[in-house]
Amino acid sequence: MIRFEAVEKWFGQHQVLAGVTGEVKRGEVVTLLGSSGSGKSTLIRTVTRLEGIQGGQVLFEGVDVAGRGVDINRLRQRVGFVFQAFNLFPHLSALGNITLGLERLRKMRKAAARERAMTELDRVGLADKADALPSRLSGGQRQRVAIARALAMDPDVMLFDEPTSALDPEMVNEVLRVMRTLAQNGMTMVVVTHEIGFAREVADTVWFLDKGQIVESGPPAEVLDDPRHDRLRSFLSRAR
Amino acid sequence: MLEILEDNWLLFLIGQYPHGPVGGLAMTLFLAVAGLSLSFPVAIALALARLSPRRWLRGPATAVVYVVRGLPLIMFIFWTYFALPLLTGHAVGGVETLLFALVIYEASYLSEIIRAGIEGLPKGQAEAAKALGLGYFPTTFKVILPQVLHNMMPSLVSQFVSTIKETSLGYVISANEVTFAASQVNNQLMTQPFEVYGLLALTYFTLCFTLTSAARWLERRLAAERGGLGAQPA
Repeated sequence: MIRFEAVEKWFGQHQVLAGVTGEVKRGEVVTLLGSSGSGKSTLIRTVTRLEGIQGGQVLFEGVDVAGRGVDINRLRQRVGFVFQAFNLFPHLSALGNITLGLERLRKMRKAAARERAMTELDRVGLADKADALPSRLSGGQRQRVAIARALAMDPDVMLFDEPTSALDPEMVNEVLRVMRTLAQNGMTMVVVTHEIGFAREVADTVWFLDKGQIVESGPPAEVLDDPRHDRLRSFLSRAR
Repeated sequence: MLEILEDNWLLFLIGQYPHGPVGGLAMTLFLAVAGLSLSFPVAIALALARLSPRRWLRGPATAVVYVVRGLPLIMFIFWTYFALPLLTGHAVGGVETLLFALVIYEASYLSEIIRAGIEGLPKGQAEAAKALGLGYFPTTFKVILPQVLHNMMPSLVSQFVSTIKETSLGYVISANEVTFAASQVNNQLMTQPFEVYGLLALTYFTLCFTLTSAARWLERRLAAERGGLGAQPA
């Protein structure tokens, strides 16, 4: 579903992605691990061109996302993105955050959009917070609304950029629970995270990135319990 | 002083109306409100153009803003005063002339406030809209501008205060506003300029001070909103 082919990216002189090649298959849950600065966030941001690349290709359903004639806004509707900082629209209620895309992009009528948004809020356990502004929600609730906002667009794949890193410890689980359910229901997911436990339990595949390259990938049992590279070994020992 | 007020308060307030055109404080307020409201859409367009990646939009908009900000308002009033009749082929009244000059002038200043507001929003807002698949216009008008306009309420009130004071320049082209009314009164009385212009000063001050206080109150409320529950990690 998503293919990275020798993807390279520089920020000025600094190379963030140094030839990343990998594939995410439909229905697969891929977890990206790596210390900060390893390029893992940048990598998933290239999928919908939130970051441009300087070398290689990113293919979504076989189509180069940077290709001519690609309607990037259409592509972005098919790829849900969840940010570390939630990025809810603070002037809109939880419901309004979700209906905006439905009304503007799916051209749904107000009532239909509202109904759909309520279904999504219910799915993340926040139906009772529909009219609350983001400022009235806890961090965990905000992130769940952000997930609902992305899900409402019926994406083919969900990308998560450190979804629990900005959260207080007691709120991490409510977000992980939602993500776990999503994975169990067959959603294709790419998750950048520091939650090794989540990776072990939910992921089909773990990619370990270091200095802009995937240095190890495979099923969690293999990668996490029998690491071959020193960098991964020391990363795992620090993460525990 | 009280006597002057007793005899002339209606002239101060509404000019010669109903025996002549509306003037006085009513016209001052009308000019300020209309000037600011009409300049608003222009200001938004200028601000968006200035932030555009397209050079043919950004260049001219930047030039306009810089030129206008580098010139005194009275120049624009003179220019419009002499140019508008030539361009339209009609005689143009003082009020219309002043309004036109004000719109150009205020639009430039407002556009800078709006631009700063847009640049001051957390990057994540535009990014989240992008990630949803929203294009430029829905992102700008549904996500960015509503937040910017909310945040800039205090600056907007301040700009309104400046505009009120700027309308007094209409006097030089005989736009019928409150300074013009005061000078009419002064011309009649001939001997009491300090009292007359003292009254005028008091009028401006009361109006502007009230508004400035309102702006401060708004600012505190916004700060509380942001610093308290409104705060989201960047």
